[in-house]
Amino acid sequence: MTFPYKGYAGHYLDVDLTKGKIHKREMEKEWARLYLGGSGVAARILWDSTGPDTDPLSPDNVVVIGTGPLTGSMFSPSGRMMFAAKGPLTGVWAESHVGGFFGPEMKYAGFDFVVIRGRSPKHVYLFLRDGHAELLDASDLWGRETDITTQMIREEHKDPAVETAVIGTAGEKLVSYASVIVDVYRAAGRCGIGAVLGSKNVKGIACRGSLGLEVHDMDKYLEANAEEMAKLNDPLWTASLASLRKYGTTDLVAIINEIGRLPTKNHWTGFYEQADDIGPETIAENYRTTQEACHGCAIGCKYIYKVKEGAFGGGPAGGPEYETLMAFGSNCLNNDVESIFHMGTRCDLIGMDTISCGKTIGFAMELWEKGILTKKDTDGLDLSWGNVDSMVKLVEMIGKREGIGDMLSKGVRKAAEIIGGDAWKYAVHVKGLEASGQDPRAHQSVGLTYATNVRGADHLRSLSSLEELGYPDIVSERFGAEKADEILDIMSPKHKGEIIKDIEDLYALVDSAVICKYSTMWPPIYYYDTFVNVISPLTGMTEWSDTKYVKQAAERISHLRRAYNHRLGITRKQENLPQRLLKEPMPTGPAKGGLPDLDEMLDEYYDFRGCDRETGFPKREKLQELGLDYVADDLAKRKMLARGK
Amino acid sequence: MVTKESSSDLRKALAIDNNLCTGCRNCELACSVHHTNTFNPARARIQILKEEFRAMVIPMVCLQCDSPLCAEACPTGAISENSAGVLTVNHDLCIGCSNCVTACIYGGIAIDPLLRKAIKCDLCGGEPACIDACTYQAISLQSTDSHGLRGRSDSVRNLRTAYGLSEVDA
Repeated sequence: MTFPYKGYAGHYLDVDLTKGKIHKREMEKEWARLYLGGSGVAARILWDSTGPDTDPLSPDNVVVIGTGPLTGSMFSPSGRMMFAAKGPLTGVWAESHVGGFFGPEMKYAGFDFVVIRGRSPKHVYLFLRDGHAELLDASDLWGRETDITTQMIREEHKDPAVETAVIGTAGEKLVSYASVIVDVYRAAGRCGIGAVLGSKNVKGIACRGSLGLEVHDMDKYLEANAEEMAKLNDPLWTASLASLRKYGTTDLVAIINEIGRLPTKNHWTGFYEQADDIGPETIAENYRTTQEACHGCAIGCKYIYKVKEGAFGGGPAGGPEYETLMAFGSNCLNNDVESIFHMGTRCDLIGMDTISCGKTIGFAMELWEKGILTKKDTDGLDLSWGNVDSMVKLVEMIGKREGIGDMLSKGVRKAAEIIGGDAWKYAVHVKGLEASGQDPRAHQSVGLTYATNVRGADHLRSLSSLEELGYPDIVSERFGAEKADEILDIMSPKHKGEIIKDIEDLYALVDSAVICKYSTMWPPIYYYDTFVNVISPLTGMTEWSDTKYVKQAAERISHLRRAYNHRLGITRKQENLPQRLLKEPMPTGPAKGGLPDLDEMLDEYYDFRGCDRETGFPKREKLQELGLDYVADDLAKRKMLARGK
Repeated sequence: MVTKESSSDLRKALAIDNNLCTGCRNCELACSVHHTNTFNPARARIQILKEEFRAMVIPMVCLQCDSPLCAEACPTGAISENSAGVLTVNHDLCIGCSNCVTACIYGGIAIDPLLRKAIKCDLCGGEPACIDACTYQAISLQSTDSHGLRGRSDSVRNLRTAYGLSEVDA
């Protein structure tokens, strides 16, 4: 039977690198109907093909490169795509999303998904064009940085519009947090998918397509689309969107420092006195040259920087986002913004996650301060806070895994294990993923977000901006007016289990559609009704016009990803926070004294999620209600179902 | 050659202000919906090229030239002004030879990958879909008199400078 739904390209590729064989297959109807696309479908594929015995850097691991029905379908902001695998940094569920133009182009080339298995005997890259795919020789590309690699691929095909998603030298060298770089300066940064591709001898994937996408009911879809765009264009959000266009995410440096949540000095505190030096005004006035947007996006948050002269002269290139400014800036007590531009761009060229890299350097700096690391451990580098020379050198050493860079290339959890002693106290991570730029001591629900995030300590699976920026009307509408006051209290744990469960489900759809967090996370405009509105006319999946069905699909994706992790040994014990964020009260700044009440929030979260409080395991009834019987059966065999009803 | 009717004269061309364009390519999507009822930028008559190494976006669309090189190069006479004065490709005559593509030095005409016939901007009969789709208000309809052409030229000044095609900003 042919795949019946529109909005999808309709095919996916199953690539067996070991045999050098590529199978072009029709999309599975049930994948679309039950898991939508992106993260949901990737979870379905990885559930079947990887598990506790899969070594992330072995041929057994599987990389899923995915888009969703909204990718390339003129919905704003939908220029995104995702990568998933079992993570080399964390050993659990790993997914990483990226904007730009690759995702839409992959669909125009005829493919919704690419599933990569095995290990190629030679260095290769995958090229897709108009329904065809081939593995091409990458021996000349191996050892090159991401910009040159992109240029060489475009030259080989004599087409400057070929889109690329490639790894740099860090991915080749299996740095645990190696990224995949799209369009030269956009990164699928987190979780080390670049290392998984590197372990498979895959330099990347490139595509060009003219097949286009059909729509089930174009008039109705465009109408629904216009309704959603009208929400975005409501005067209520004019200022927010203008700020995104002017500053991009750099604005967050100022906003977040103001509430005392800006990770500073390896997460010691949440307030950085020199934040202005690395903040939005400094950048906009002195370095920002222009603004760019991802495919079909009406927001346009990407900025381009140029440093005219000096040691860090460079650009034009994609400017560092908030997280990069935090990781290499406040986190390392470094207020030299030009050095951050430099290190951010170097990470894009080498192909490394700026968050994990900056956080690992901050961790090493704290160990230096405490005397746990000394000159004999650091190849003579002085790792005092804010020592820019040493930081710049460390970035290169980590990328090459040279000297101390080898240990730091494994991330803070592994490095702390290797160093031993008290080092673990300064390793700020959950499930092995270095914490991103938030702090639960200044924002209770961030604690729950970090603890329960299936990929580890970051904000992108369930961060709530509702109480951070205060949206009383939206909170009342979604959760009831009677709860609004407590929800809006950023330091109250009350109802946070309920809202984080709700937002995790919402983002599960966002990550499967695949669209951007902007307009969902912040400003909080799109909600479940958005998907109810647009998916059905786009695809022809009539079930998706029913709110109950859509919410259930969202929950299904959340539960499948959680179950994937249970099977790898994740229980309530690992859904935890690092000691610093859980036990050391915030020492300075506006959030001084703050600590998260994690246990209270977790209890409530598990209740709303349909899980057991003690273990975090799901209840059979819940899984059956979501049509995840196969998951329930598998977990039951492993004694990973909640006991009792 | 169709004679112009001055009353319904559409002697205009699209101008894209490079300072406002973010390279999101929504115009391409809107154009492809209007002309093909699908999302397919490769079949759009407006093209946004990007060059990450100079962080440039380069909009390409037909200039509706007074002395069109494309029409001159067409061996079958398929390109001519329609009744509104807009250069149009007659697909009954077009043989897809690409001579027009080679001849146009502005990248304003292309071969449709599906039809294998030349396609170019026809101004959507006076209400270009791309203008409506551009949330950054970068696209406008300019007259092809000297004033309009001056505006069109100014809007891409930074590109000419970046690529060394004209003197440093006047």
